[in-house]
Amino acid sequence: MAVQLHQWTAALYLVACLVAWLGLGLRARWLERAAVGVLAAGALVHLAAFSQLHNLNPPPPLTDLPAAVSFMACAGVFFFLALMLWLRLAGLAALVAPLAFLSTFFAATQLPDAPVASFGGSGSLPHLHVLLAGTGLAFLGVSGLAGSLFLLEHHRLKTKQPVRLPLPSLEALDRVNRVSLLAGFPLLTLGVVTGMMWVENVQGSLWSGTQHQTFSAIAWAVYAVLVTLRFGSSQGARQAAASAVGGFALLFFAVIGVEMLA
Amino acid sequence: MRIVLLGMSHRSAPLELRERLAVDDPAPPLQKLARCEEIDEAVLFSTCNRVELVAVTRSLEAARLRLRAFFARELAGELEADELEEHLYEHVDGDAMRHVLRVASSLDSMVVGEPQILGQTKEAYQRAAECGSSGPLLGRLFQNAFATAKRVRSETRIAERPISVARVAVELARQIFEDFSDKQALLIGAGEMIELALEALRGHGLEAIRVVNRTPERAAELASRFGATAHGLDELPALLRSADVVLTSIGGDRPVLTAERVGEALRARRGRPMFVIDIGVPRNVEPEVNGLDSVYLYDIDDLASVAQENQELRRREAARAEAIVEEERQRFDGWLTALRAVPTIKHLRERAEQIRLREFEQSLRRIDLDERQREGVEALTRAIVNKLLHAPTSRLRQEAEREEGMAYLEAARVLFALDDEASDRPGEEPDSGDQSPDGDGEGPERG
Repeated sequence: MAVQLHQWTAALYLVACLVAWLGLGLRARWLERAAVGVLAAGALVHLAAFSQLHNLNPPPPLTDLPAAVSFMACAGVFFFLALMLWLRLAGLAALVAPLAFLSTFFAATQLPDAPVASFGGSGSLPHLHVLLAGTGLAFLGVSGLAGSLFLLEHHRLKTKQPVRLPLPSLEALDRVNRVSLLAGFPLLTLGVVTGMMWVENVQGSLWSGTQHQTFSAIAWAVYAVLVTLRFGSSQGARQAAASAVGGFALLFFAVIGVEMLA
Repeated sequence: MRIVLLGMSHRSAPLELRERLAVDDPAPPLQKLARCEEIDEAVLFSTCNRVELVAVTRSLEAARLRLRAFFARELAGELEADELEEHLYEHVDGDAMRHVLRVASSLDSMVVGEPQILGQTKEAYQRAAECGSSGPLLGRLFQNAFATAKRVRSETRIAERPISVARVAVELARQIFEDFSDKQALLIGAGEMIELALEALRGHGLEAIRVVNRTPERAAELASRFGATAHGLDELPALLRSADVVLTSIGGDRPVLTAERVGEALRARRGRPMFVIDIGVPRNVEPEVNGLDSVYLYDIDDLASVAQENQELRRREAARAEAIVEEERQRFDGWLTALRAVPTIKHLRERAEQIRLREFEQSLRRIDLDERQREGVEALTRAIVNKLLHAPTSRLRQEAEREEGMAYLEAARVLFALDDEASDRPGEEPDSGDQSPDGDGEGPERG
């Protein structure tokens, strides 16, 4: 049932993605709104899929990569929908929906015979680590997507090209960036801390020396610098957007890419 | 019935002439026109860009003469007949229908795609309806025109992008800022175009406005008009730090805003974006300002170029809109042509009803029926007649929408002997049920 619901979620995200693209292409606002509606429906089914996962006996650990990726997608979509209540961001659905689809599709194909996590451990720390780091990563992911749209629009306005796609305003995209960083970085930090505590529980030391931990620490340090620059100095919106895109790419590689390569 | 349209617009006449023909209150001329024998229905349409009379008539030539005379006497006043004739245009039937649909859809407007024309068309029709000069045919034509205009706006992108420089500036500002309620505008100098842009920005919620000018009196005058505060040019560096939208149009050989000055302001703004619209000629802002990261600088050429691109888009969309207009014109034309079938269908139904009643009454004299049975038989005969006539009358209506449909109408008149006077008199119809060779009309007797 959980896998089926994941498949339904993936299908809804795919529909949302196609409708959002069509809305952008045809410059039809109603299609953009419809895409957000389908995305919201997908998010609800996604939530149901997670509740079904907990009903499995034994429940698959959230620390498994497919489950973790699926959780990140769900958190990212809900975060985007929450931002939609505040800002006119329908155009951003054209990037959020495909990423949500790919993540959920990956999870739907991998969940039945998901490998167990390479790390052992018991108690709530492993799940807490995934919940915090996953939510943080999802928020920073939304920031990265908003950043990429910002750079696109900034370039168009600077070079005085005609409007091709009805994208959100630069100010809205910059606000997404700020809010995502403000919420995402503390969550990511807590995720890193709980991860280290989990490692200590299992191995007796805070540092395991695995690629995952090494790259995650590097990514966190880079993000710490970016956040300091954003809120501590007069960094412009364009640099902040570029940082968000670069930072998320690095973080994605550190957390997901390294796991996949391993 | 024929439709004829006589008019003068921005395409055919200069403004001075259109001004002289403009009508503030269309009711008196329309009431006069409605009293004319040649005119069955009329609508007068008068805006700053056009004066048009559209009328329905049964006598085209007489109506044409009447409308021309009416234009010359009632609307043109002292204008010479030759001068008037030179600028008038006339459309008849299909062309007149198309013209009305194009006007309502803003395809014939000076600024193609402008939205006001639909409201003006509705008002013109409303006024005609109120003074009783409009009838069912023009009513249908104008309803069709409103529906067409709605289709054009929803199915094409004809009005999607602004084409005036002021509106383009606002559209660009909306791509940068999410809302204007917490933004500040700085107006440097004065000029019609930036005042228009500022007015449009105010329409989107911009309230905090500061005006800077070389002459304090002029600054104060502008400030009072926009509910803004007036400042001298020496306050510019400080004002620039808090300005989100800067509109400049000030005289002078040297730029008022240099890259250095704007750069300083940006540092104080902590990277918040600034939209600068420079309408001054020569330019008031150094082009290098656009190289600064958070500044979006558009000069008059940039704005005009965007407006030109949008105009091009409208032209492309206008071609799609013309196809919609043509489709709707054909639909209306079909409806109008189908009206030809109405007398034949009406006649056919009357004949059928006469026969039904006659046969029913004859039968009642021979058969003894109580009230309930009588009602039942009457309902039965009525249902049979209706069912029999349903297919031919529907087909006649459909066929009448085409030019070839006349043959069907003729055939129906011959087959049902609708033009035979004798057949309309009781007991004298040649195909009376009593004489039917196959006994179709003898049902009640057998029952």
